[in-house]
Amino acid sequence: MFRFEKVSQDPLTNLTFTIQKKEKVILFGPSGAGKSTLLYLFNRLSEPDSGSIYFNGKPINEYSVTELRKNVGLVLQAPHLFPGTVLDNLKYGPSLFGEWEDKNAKTLLEYVQLPSSYLHKDVSQLSGGEEQRVSLARTLANSPEVLLLDEPTSALDYQTAEEIEEVLEGLIKEHEMTMVMVTHNLNQARRLGDRGLFIMDGGLQEDGTIPDMLDHPKNEKLLNFIEG
Amino acid sequence: MNALTPEVSNQSLFFLIIFVIIPLTLSYFYQLGLGKNVLWSAFRGTVQLFAIGYILTYLFDLPARLGIPLMVGIMIIIATFHARQKGKELPHVLPVIFISLLFVEGSVLTMWLVFDMVQFRPSEVIPMSGMVIGNSMVAMGLALERMKSEFRDNNGRLLAALSLGAEPKQASHLIVQRTLHAALIPNVDRLKTIGLVQLPGMMTGLILGGVEPVMAIKYQLVISLSIFSSVSISAMFVTLAMYRYFFNKNKQLIEPEG
Repeated sequence: MFRFEKVSQDPLTNLTFTIQKKEKVILFGPSGAGKSTLLYLFNRLSEPDSGSIYFNGKPINEYSVTELRKNVGLVLQAPHLFPGTVLDNLKYGPSLFGEWEDKNAKTLLEYVQLPSSYLHKDVSQLSGGEEQRVSLARTLANSPEVLLLDEPTSALDYQTAEEIEEVLEGLIKEHEMTMVMVTHNLNQARRLGDRGLFIMDGGLQEDGTIPDMLDHPKNEKLLNFIEG
Repeated sequence: MNALTPEVSNQSLFFLIIFVIIPLTLSYFYQLGLGKNVLWSAFRGTVQLFAIGYILTYLFDLPARLGIPLMVGIMIIIATFHARQKGKELPHVLPVIFISLLFVEGSVLTMWLVFDMVQFRPSEVIPMSGMVIGNSMVAMGLALERMKSEFRDNNGRLLAALSLGAEPKQASHLIVQRTLHAALIPNVDRLKTIGLVQLPGMMTGLILGGVEPVMAIKYQLVISLSIFSSVSISAMFVTLAMYRYFFNKNKQLIEPEG
């Protein structure tokens, strides 16, 4: 589905890997390793300095930028909701492409386990966890083929983070979409992912199944990261 | 009503220095570090006003078709360079401001002359154009500053909008809206309280010069509404022309470079 070929963009250098359809990939590594940069490259919010990125076999720069972004949904670390109601946020993406239908609103809220009474609630009245759920539903509203998640629980307290994780677990099982998620939380990686990419010092240090990587790390850097 | 030509003697003028000493003292006591700035501004303002007084006397004696374009042209050029300071890191900001001012002044002047609101005389067109150009300059500077800070503060929201598939124009809709609002609101407020909180400068000048208040009000209305309209147009023009430089051709958010 995604192929990175010798991609470089500070701090990443010469990165090559492939992500298959419906894979649940966890990107992990220390802060500043370039994990978020990688997600921005997928969504084309950022351009590589060199190398090529392919989506479904075609270079991503051959797609219309907006169409690509619609199909490769990104949930940012902070929710960054737009002023207005929850409904305004949910319909934002689909309305850009003339695809919004009011009947979808309740389903989207169900996906993220929020009651339909929230539809007309102003986003300024939401808690941190609720904001992140709305942000997730807003991305899902575009029905993306790939879901990119940039540490979606890092700014939340432990309990709220667990709730969001449950929501994500349900979504992943139900929709069988391809997911690429950045997380620092190794337990979360274990629960949500099936393949891991460990990134450090600008490069891909280890690539394998999550249990393998976390229980039997081959790379010393990964071992230090897990222990440290 | 007796016509009154306001006469302020040089001796009286000298005592205006008290109005400079007050902020200087405040700055000294509260350690505001504004002393040099206050002195320099007061000195510069005085010299500029005297200089413009002599220049205007000279221009008013010139034929209108020469004096008006000359002075209006100079005002537009100075205003362009001044407004540019607020957005000098943005590409093409200079021509955008220059064209906006030219357009605004051209339209307003045409309206004045076509509908016989103002006579094509240097003594009428130059001061009134100065007010239009000056206010537009301030509005454009405000718009540029506000736009930059809105882009900085809303980086996350812009990324969110772009990541959902928004075009740069759609992603920055809220920013454009807020920028225009910030640039226009002082004018809307000024228009709302005109005559209630303060008598506008032009009207005060005319009344002091012996013109009937009702006649002075008519002139004031012409200039107030002209300013209102030109400020709106110029702020809109500069905002809509400049927001696109915060994005590259791949619809990615960038730090603009002039």
